[in-house]
Amino acid sequence: MKLVPAAAACAALLIGTTGCSLTESNDPEASGSQGSGTITVDSSADACDLTTTEAPSGNLVFDVKNSGDQVTEFYFYAEDGLRIVGEIENVGPGLSRDLVVRAAPGTYVASCRPGMSGKGIRSDFTVTDSGEDTKITGVEQADIDAATTQYAAYVKDQSSQLVDETTAFVTAYAAGQDERARELYPEARTYWERIETVAESFGDLDPKMDLREADLSPGQEWTGWHRIEKDLWPPASGYTALSTADREKYGQDLLENTKTLDSRVQDLDYTVDQIGNGSKGLLDEVASGKITGEEDIWSHTDLYDFQANVDGARVAYEGLKPLLDVKDPALSQKIQSAFRDLQTSLDQYRQGKDDFVSYDTVTEAQRKELSDRVNALAEPLSKLTGAITL
Amino acid sequence: MSSFPLGNYLIGLREGLEASLVVVILVAYLVKSGRRHLLPRIWVGVALAVALSAAFGALLTFGPRRLTFEAQEALGGILSIVAVGFVTWMVFWMARHARALSGELRGRIDAAAEAGRASLALVAFLAVGREGLETALFLWSATQATGSGGSQLVPLLGALLGILTAVAMGYAFYKGVLKIDLSRFFTWTGAILIVVAAGVLAYGVHDLQEARILPGLNSLAFDVSDTIEPASVLGTVLKGTLNFSPATTWLEAVVWVAYVVPTMTVFLLRARRPRSTGTATTAPTPAPARAA
Repeated sequence: MKLVPAAAACAALLIGTTGCSLTESNDPEASGSQGSGTITVDSSADACDLTTTEAPSGNLVFDVKNSGDQVTEFYFYAEDGLRIVGEIENVGPGLSRDLVVRAAPGTYVASCRPGMSGKGIRSDFTVTDSGEDTKITGVEQADIDAATTQYAAYVKDQSSQLVDETTAFVTAYAAGQDERARELYPEARTYWERIETVAESFGDLDPKMDLREADLSPGQEWTGWHRIEKDLWPPASGYTALSTADREKYGQDLLENTKTLDSRVQDLDYTVDQIGNGSKGLLDEVASGKITGEEDIWSHTDLYDFQANVDGARVAYEGLKPLLDVKDPALSQKIQSAFRDLQTSLDQYRQGKDDFVSYDTVTEAQRKELSDRVNALAEPLSKLTGAITL
Repeated sequence: MSSFPLGNYLIGLREGLEASLVVVILVAYLVKSGRRHLLPRIWVGVALAVALSAAFGALLTFGPRRLTFEAQEALGGILSIVAVGFVTWMVFWMARHARALSGELRGRIDAAAEAGRASLALVAFLAVGREGLETALFLWSATQATGSGGSQLVPLLGALLGILTAVAMGYAFYKGVLKIDLSRFFTWTGAILIVVAAGVLAYGVHDLQEARILPGLNSLAFDVSDTIEPASVLGTVLKGTLNFSPATTWLEAVVWVAYVVPTMTVFLLRARRPRSTGTATTAPTPAPARAA
């Protein structure tokens, strides 16, 4: 009899739809970090009262109570008041039904429709940014988790090596071992540059650690990497070398800030868009500072920073690659081959395994070629985040 | 809430009518064509749909997870459109047998009918199941209110009463349909089913528009909500039987017409053919037999 397979197929269909992507938790407070709890909607004959008109992004739970005497509906529209984000129909008088929607930050319109006709009783609703990722569909949550966990581990690893290398660097510098310090400078900075966008997200640390002389505001004290850089590669004239006490002071200051950075990244979580935007951000750093030779204007070690930024961007991309391969395989291919081309160009300037030539020996034409390669990567890379999250 | 729980009653009535109309016609057809032995197939389909809907409704209401809004709309929409496919098949299946019923080939066709019986169960299953989950979710929420509030039994009773009314109306319709004389019976029930199926199709399209699988949710072809209020008894019955929506989108309207016009044309042409050719050329038209 054909009935059994038919029924089995229907059951499979229904079970299939109870799979992860088509369902959501009945108890969002237990799974999410949002603390707003349930939003109660009181739909009466002539009012639509919500307990709050603002909630953090993520899962929103509306408990729609019908206190009128007609059947009502509750709609949660996007900002345009047309696109339905979520709805619950058939709320009979005296009953309440729940609606759960996943909402990204933005403005929405909540509407009760007593009698199931007309525009409904509308009011604006604001969803604030809770930092939770809310927009990714069509990929496994496990892959998203893997990508964000891996990236967090990468940042912590780089940060802890940065502390070690910086310690070695400032020790040599304070001890007056200038030759050793000059060797360690570009190597230690590699760990900084790989996670530069994360480090820069701490607005108080970045200016103390990585400010260039040219970007100093009037009256601002110049500290950090580039202050020491200038002292190690001093201009031919008009520069007074730092005293031993100053060397100690600037070295310790840089090390303390590095340790503060390291302790802060331990608790950081990343969303997919932060990682994607970070990848693009690192490449922008290359374009804005490294190509021009402005970053390490005294040491001319810009190519080390260049390589480190590209490394960081590539690691971020590779972490997201499993997601992008699902959402937009063509874009993923494009990014991958642009990374390869850029690396080929960079490799021309290597000396030995880990070292690069001084950037002042790189001609304008060669810089132009590097710049073109960077731009060729920046174009597809700028689409990375959008391709995954939209 | 001392008065009659009209709102919940109407929801029950509407969902009940939506589920029962196709089943009633199917049952009437089998009875009228002397195939009562196939009736258990229908009841199996109906029972499966009710049981599955109730079980999944309970699971999604009381269990750890619920369907997203899009998933629920997509499920309702897709099941509706699949149901239309099967009902359309059923209409022409009935028409084919209707022609054979009056001829001498009855025995052979009966044998062929056996092959379609699992499909009959599926038609019944889809007719009830397509909106079964939404109905179950609604009923369970009414039950939940009963459990927490104590005195909130009224909404649940109202809804159940609505469903019972739908069943009673279905039974009355069944009795009425049976009275139609045999020659007109198949044409009438087939035509009704086509209109009903078109409504289900438009309804499915609307669900998919709400889930944003299809575009054009806000481009209305017409909106007569002021004349035929969706919450009124008339609105409920029109919705429950023909799936008539007072606010209909262009896409729904176009799909409705695009389904009804060709399907009805083909159906009526076929329904007329045996009468025009039946008396003159009975012998040289055993085409169905050769095909089977």
